[in-house]
Amino acid sequence: MPGFTHLHTVSGFSLRYGASHPERLAERAVERGMDALALTDRDTLAGTVRFAKACAKAGVRPLFGAGLAVEEAESVRQERRRAPVRGGAFVDESAPRVTFLARDGARGWADLCRLVTAAHADKGERGTPLVPRAENRGDGLTVLLGPASEVGRALAAGRPDRAARLLVPWRETYGDALRLEAVWHGREGTGPGSLRLAARTVGFAAEQRIRPVLSNAVRYADPGLGPVADVLDSARRLVPVGAVKELDSGEAWLKDEGAMLAAAERIVEAAGFRRDTAHRLLEQTQATAAECLVDPEDDLGIGTVHFPEPHLVGAGRRSAQRALASRAAAGMVLKGYAGRRAYWERMHEELDIIAHHGFASYFLTVAQVVDDVRDMGIRVAARGSGAGSLVNHLLGIAHADPVEHGLLMERFLSTRRLVLPDIDIDVESARRLEVYRAIIGRFGTERVATVSMPETYRVRHAIRDVGAALSMDPADIDRIAKSFPHIRARDARAALEELPELKALAEEKQRYGRLWELVEALDALPRGIAMHPCGVLLSDASLLRRTPVVPTSGEGLPMSQFDKEDVEDLGLLKLDVLGVRMQSAMAHAVAEVERATGERVDLDAVPPGDPATYRLIQSTETLGCFQIESPGQRDLVGRLQPATFHDLVVDISLFRPGPVAADMVRPFIEARHGRAPVRYPHPDLERPLEETYGVVVFHEQIIDIVDIMTGCGRGEADRVRRGLSDPESQGRIRFWFAQHAAANGYSAETIQRTWEIIEAFGSYGFCKAHAVAFAVPTYQSAWLKAHHPAAFYAGLLTHDPGMYPKRLLLADARRRGVPILPLDVNESGVAHRIELVSDKTSVWGLRLALSDVHGISEAEAERIAQGQPYASLLDFWERGRPSRPVAGRLAQVGALDSFGANRRDLQLHLTELHRGARAGRGGQLPLSGGRKTAPAGLPDLSSVERLSAELGVLSMDVSRNLMDDHREFLEELGVVGARRLREARHGETVLVAGAKAATQTPPIRSGKRVIFTTLDDGTGLVDLAFFDDSHDACAHTVFHSWLLLVRGVVQRRGPRSLSVVGAAAWNLAELVELRDGEGLDAVAARLAEPVPARPGGEDDDPTGGRRIQMPTGYELHPWADLRPAGQEASQVRKLWHQSPGSAG
Amino acid sequence: MTILCVRFQLPPTREAALPELLGLLEEFTPVVEALPPDRALADLRGAERYFKRDAVELASVIRVRALALHGVDCAIGAGPGPMLARMALKDARPGVTRSVPEDAAADFLAGRPVAALPGVGAATARVLCEYGLDTLGRVAAAPLSTLQRLVGAKPARELHEKANGVDRGRVVPNGVSRSLATERPFTRDELDPDRHRRALLSAAEELGSRLRALDKVCRTLTLTVRYADRTATTRSRTLGEPTAHSAALTRAAYGMYETLGLQRARVRSIALRAEGLDPAEQASHQLTFDPTDEKLRRIEEAADRARARFGPLAVLPGALAA
Repeated sequence: MPGFTHLHTVSGFSLRYGASHPERLAERAVERGMDALALTDRDTLAGTVRFAKACAKAGVRPLFGAGLAVEEAESVRQERRRAPVRGGAFVDESAPRVTFLARDGARGWADLCRLVTAAHADKGERGTPLVPRAENRGDGLTVLLGPASEVGRALAAGRPDRAARLLVPWRETYGDALRLEAVWHGREGTGPGSLRLAARTVGFAAEQRIRPVLSNAVRYADPGLGPVADVLDSARRLVPVGAVKELDSGEAWLKDEGAMLAAAERIVEAAGFRRDTAHRLLEQTQATAAECLVDPEDDLGIGTVHFPEPHLVGAGRRSAQRALASRAAAGMVLKGYAGRRAYWERMHEELDIIAHHGFASYFLTVAQVVDDVRDMGIRVAARGSGAGSLVNHLLGIAHADPVEHGLLMERFLSTRRLVLPDIDIDVESARRLEVYRAIIGRFGTERVATVSMPETYRVRHAIRDVGAALSMDPADIDRIAKSFPHIRARDARAALEELPELKALAEEKQRYGRLWELVEALDALPRGIAMHPCGVLLSDASLLRRTPVVPTSGEGLPMSQFDKEDVEDLGLLKLDVLGVRMQSAMAHAVAEVERATGERVDLDAVPPGDPATYRLIQSTETLGCFQIESPGQRDLVGRLQPATFHDLVVDISLFRPGPVAADMVRPFIEARHGRAPVRYPHPDLERPLEETYGVVVFHEQIIDIVDIMTGCGRGEADRVRRGLSDPESQGRIRFWFAQHAAANGYSAETIQRTWEIIEAFGSYGFCKAHAVAFAVPTYQSAWLKAHHPAAFYAGLLTHDPGMYPKRLLLADARRRGVPILPLDVNESGVAHRIELVSDKTSVWGLRLALSDVHGISEAEAERIAQGQPYASLLDFWERGRPSRPVAGRLAQVGALDSFGANRRDLQLHLTELHRGARAGRGGQLPLSGGRKTAPAGLPDLSSVERLSAELGVLSMDVSRNLMDDHREFLEELGVVGARRLREARHGETVLVAGAKAATQTPPIRSGKRVIFTTLDDGTGLVDLAFFDDSHDACAHTVFHSWLLLVRGVVQRRGPRSLSVVGAAAWNLAELVELRDGEGLDAVAARLAEPVPARPGGEDDDPTGGRRIQMPTGYELHPWADLRPAGQEASQVRKLWHQSPGSAG
Repeated sequence: MTILCVRFQLPPTREAALPELLGLLEEFTPVVEALPPDRALADLRGAERYFKRDAVELASVIRVRALALHGVDCAIGAGPGPMLARMALKDARPGVTRSVPEDAAADFLAGRPVAALPGVGAATARVLCEYGLDTLGRVAAAPLSTLQRLVGAKPARELHEKANGVDRGRVVPNGVSRSLATERPFTRDELDPDRHRRALLSAAEELGSRLRALDKVCRTLTLTVRYADRTATTRSRTLGEPTAHSAALTRAAYGMYETLGLQRARVRSIALRAEGLDPAEQASHQLTFDPTDEKLRRIEEAADRARARFGPLAVLPGALAA
């Protein structure tokens, strides 16, 4: 038997087309005895690297290719169809498709990249990739013309004459590399997949003297996945299954050699040849596969590094290393370290390491980018381990002085580390794209591309797509999808069994038939491709020969089809440029201060150790401060009481899953407050450990400990540290450590105790360089909050950096005494601004922004702000030219109040102006009293309606806290407010209530699933925890209601640390409605309803004790650490289930 | 206090019993207006004097008779005019007749949502609620000029009067239904234009034969397409000449369907409604020299006769027979 190679195989990276992952395809190919396998995804090469790796692992030879739509030689004129009034037009998939295989090593791969890039370059009106005729060439390619090509279509239509004519240009371009592809999927008729078309193709090939090949046009690895392919087709075409085209044949799987031989025999017989000609057909296929020789290492460039050419990064004609050395030396002088020997030594050491790896260009590149960004006036800061390098500091990449903070170069880069170093830079999020454009401008599109990020199917999207394909009721689909937390699609049925909040849904599970099975089959298949939020590829001019680049859909930036991990494997240099909203928020705050007061604040030069700032941090009122605003951090800050910058660094390092899990927090706090003595395993270790009271917090400390005890050097010590996370190598390290430490004269007991510390630490700790880089904006933001609160909130609300909904920030501002000034078209700017409220006390107020109005466009807000001031409503309408809905919303929230009349009257006037404008008449408004708008006698908005409008339009309760309306009812219930709760005793049972601000189910040390939620009740925040014994009763309510009433027990862990452990929860909005409608007795009846309890006993765990083992060694509850079900608190725009005044 | 609005509690299977029940009402007064499927208005002005009982007492008599004679229970609302009687009916239960005296009308109306008022459709109610006029009391309090700016001059005047309890309506005896409708639902999301057209053809055929059976012609045809997301598109077309001719109705329906240009829309049902019904003998018909039309009409007549004899499925267009 000649063997068989599938030359036409697509994976899940063919968006909404292929149903199997490349890894699965490679595995199956080996199981079915194949030596090679091609991956020819539709319009993309994104699966290539994964496929190559999977093939290397499985032991098959990978072939690379792509299926592309090509421009037709003779375009068929299509009549324009009428635009549908509903439902949209059909997705146009009429372009013929051809399979291209890279044949000739690196040249073939480069041709393939060029074709894919060209296909995506000009999508034009059609919006789908198409290879233009002029680009359709390539010496290193093999081309398969299959049933979907023009030639195949002509044959299917019974027009061999036309097929011969269409074949001519292909033959001219590709000559001997042209193949005709026969596919038989057992279909009837003469269409694609039919026996007659396959036979005609083989016959036509013989007639035209072109070699035929056999393929199976594989879409999935295993038989039986036809229905999944149908769902994908339906998701791609946006129509229900079976509505337009026939269903998938179920034959397009990775068939083994025997099945393909049988198919070949049927085809050649049908074509009128002898049966043994089938072997010839398979031989041709094998020969074609054998010609395609692209080596993943040599030709794709996996494992080699490409930096931008030195002359582009300011090296001139010198070598990059020399340029770097001289820039670093200049930095020494500039920063005033010239007289310090230790700095010189460290610099030379680092330069040697860099020279050892030949990474000088890399450092110069990053420095160049940082310089460019800074020149644009954008706030920029380095983060990550790169902050540990003095050279980075000297080049101006990192702010903090690594020598002063005790940061180690070895954590970042050493002669022993072989991976590419990683420098991340933070920039203002609002100007991130500007930074990208600057980088592209500096290095050129031939060297720069952003990195892509496949969006894969998770449970919610899978349910939506499968449901739509199965013609389910859209309301049902929506309800089911929203009930799920953001879990993997493959866990759908397990979650239904196990999660208490899905119990109601589980009961109706049977109604939806095949839904669940299909949802799980879609798991992790890519459904779209987006720009990665921070990665930028930098390379030399050969980038476009090594990666396919497509324009991003929104911004039109060049984007490589490879994702983050692929890029690393391909040896492409990636620079992480992270857009940090807090940087934007701070920049806005500083700009506001300068605009309003003329005072220039230099955040990078704020005085360290400011007492007011630390008082604020210690009070735990840190909402909006970078990194220390989450409930857990507020709790930790309350216990730790930071008083110096170093305390902040430690605080940030401690609040990581690792240290929390390893319980490093308690000993540290005990020692810090002098409640426990500080101990060191050996006096030699005092130096690295004294800063953290003998508790190991930082990676750097482990490196130092290992280095001191064994004398192995810090580069080796970092390698050892990395090995600690792997249980296998841990044993070896232990032996090695004991041996070397003993050789250095340490006693067995010391070694034992030190090892315990190192072992417990595992790989938990945090890189101090990271923490220092984080702590800088933390301090800066807290400083702003302490000294310029109004501007700080203006920045926060404009750029919305935090984990909390905006309304909570507004409530915080109100609590801290910042006057909230309502939206006003004559006063408000595009962004949030500050305004002087009273001259005497110089109190600054916060003026809300136009950009927060729901549905307002940037241009509209800009125009309205430009036209200020407006004399009358008519003036505003004519010059501000707001859209009708936006104008209506502005009136609702009182932004037009200054024009007279009440808000409803204004609405009516606006409607008439709109109608008049449409009818082409000039607006004639009844005026009274000069410029004021005349009242029309409509009832004004009630106070509840105003609040509801504010929430609906601005998603913030501006005029007052929404909980204030329920104050009376809450008092009836005996609810304890957040402020009074601070005096509550430990163990007291209390009732608390509020609007949900955040909900999380983070990973917990105990391996249990705990729901943490934060309520805002107008007087402050209440942090709640629900442990799993209460989940049956509470989980659904907590996830799916916005206003909550909770009964719980107070837990105190420190003077400022307080939380409530919830035992029962009710939807407060429902209770309020009952109270208003039917009185207290109805509320009592509701509260008396039995809570659902778990059928089994107390310890019955629905997951059956299943836990996920984390690589760091601790256990994770299978459903923890997910974005929970229900609506995000920040998305809530409604005050009630339905608006109270609606009719009927 | 002289108008009753009666709602008979008819099970869906007995809807055809309404004419008999109307006969029952006509024993009291000749002025009875049917509001299909299950309601009727009766003007008892003369009856009160004749029977020497007031309307509320008569309501009890009507209920007893309906139960005794037909085994059908009913709920009754009473008021000075048809509008108030209908509003009152919404509060009534079998056995509890709700009556709204003239002087209490304004109070009775004040707290009700605007949509409860007969003649206020979903669109008007939405407009009014948007401007805070969600109850009739607020509508009554709003200046007439403002109302007119909201909903137009004439509707606003009527609305304003009604909201103030001024009921100028009359009970119009023998008021028959003025439209005919039929709907073709699909069992799944249907995208296939051929199936849509089949549904249209069958609906138009049905409307045509129903119209001809009633000796009516219709002036306007309305197409409603309902989608999976519970929204709908409606298109209306006034016919060149009033007709009950199936071919003409089908043509109009196809025409409306084509203007929608549907491609990916997930259609769940297609409904046709014939509006503006007039007696067939009053309809004008443009004669032509083209014999085809004449032939079609003759065929239709023959088909109608066949249907009358062998049932509605005896004769079908070829496209529907498959």
